[in-house]
Amino acid sequence: MTIDELRATAAARRETCARIKRMIVSRLDLPIEPEWITDDQPLFGRGLELDSLDVLELYVAIEAEFGVALYDSDMSVFGSVSRLAGHVDPALTLAETSA
Amino acid sequence: MESPIAQPAGAVHGDILEARVALRYTTLAEEYGAIRERAAVLDLSGARIIEIGGADAVDFAQRVLARDVEYLTAERCMTSLVLDADGRVVDQVVVWGRETGMLLESSVGGGARLLEHLTGLAGDGVEITDRSAELTLFGLEGPYSWGVVGRLIDGELAALPFESVVDTEWDGVPIVFARTGFTGEYGYKVLLPRTEAQRLWDAAVAEAVPAGQEALELAMLEVRQPLVHREAGAADILEMGANWLVDITKEDFVGRDAVLAAFAGPEGMRTVGFTTSADAPAAGTPVTVDGERIGEVVHAVHSVGLDAALGLIRVPADLAAAGLRLTVGDAEVTTLTSPYVTPKSWSTPII
Repeated sequence: MTIDELRATAAARRETCARIKRMIVSRLDLPIEPEWITDDQPLFGRGLELDSLDVLELYVAIEAEFGVALYDSDMSVFGSVSRLAGHVDPALTLAETSA
Repeated sequence: MESPIAQPAGAVHGDILEARVALRYTTLAEEYGAIRERAAVLDLSGARIIEIGGADAVDFAQRVLARDVEYLTAERCMTSLVLDADGRVVDQVVVWGRETGMLLESSVGGGARLLEHLTGLAGDGVEITDRSAELTLFGLEGPYSWGVVGRLIDGELAALPFESVVDTEWDGVPIVFARTGFTGEYGYKVLLPRTEAQRLWDAAVAEAVPAGQEALELAMLEVRQPLVHREAGAADILEMGANWLVDITKEDFVGRDAVLAAFAGPEGMRTVGFTTSADAPAAGTPVTVDGERIGEVVHAVHSVGLDAALGLIRVPADLAAAGLRLTVGDAEVTTLTSPYVTPKSWSTPII
């Protein structure tokens, strides 16, 4: 890939991550700018320190925003914003595994 | 800083800043396997324990810590960065709330620099005391470390909420117990008198595998837990990706103005993980695209979990994303989404 093609691939993931961050800040009413959250930031425990009630809110929000249903048993999707991006937009994960 | 624990024959040691630590006791694979599959016990005596006391202890802690500790009780702990006025990382600490003041647990090897920084900022009404000659620290990490807590100390402590702290006893010895860790697995720490360290260590290694610093740092890297002595250098916290260890909504703390200025400025370099089937490249190895240098390796090791090299590169923000194929040195690498290894504890209930 040329550097411009790499930038375009990166921009697609960054845009999905940005949508997720805006959704999290808005739905959970967090007092921070979405851009303060990093793509690699964990969402539970350390990191954003979300709790189980926040998870329920995010399940609803993700389905509304991205049309993707997540389930209780799949907590690893909340490992980071970027990990979540790969789940709501499978094309990103495909790009990662085929890179 | 030397460990209070008698070191077994065959242990390999090394220096991390001021601390002489066990890098491994047996093999990296065995010790890493214990962290990710069973339970490991960690000698964390290379971390200094620094007490902030005095009438103005809480106000001082609020000023020097990048996260909000105003309401941190004696039953809680939290992880925070300590920054200098330029917003650079002095150290990453665990803050243990106490009835009077707070205890700061430095990173392994980072205590001397932290102590000097705190002492330089403290004024009247604040007492900074290095308690490392009296207290030391052990850790337990692993998807079944909760079972070790039950057999060794008290089963009720195993399921404490994350970042809880309890004053209790082990075999008549007063200890401070916390549920906190580094690796994404169930993690616990025990703060105890240095004079009792060998006895508790001997009891712990009968229940869990001793793991050295190499296995611990690998497991930390795999979940993107910052390794300050490897990642910080001249980078600011945005370049490190350590934003989550800074409470940007806090009204004031040392380094805040620099952090805000960097956040308001143009995006610079950012850090992203990578893997390659080639050998782990050295820190500083150039990252290139079509022969053009765009960044460099921050830190890389061989990941037992991935059976491949794993590391971090620092590249321009518009290229700091997972799923890209870049060149590091002469090798092709692929950038990754964090966490790079999913901790088993995330799907292992405490029973």
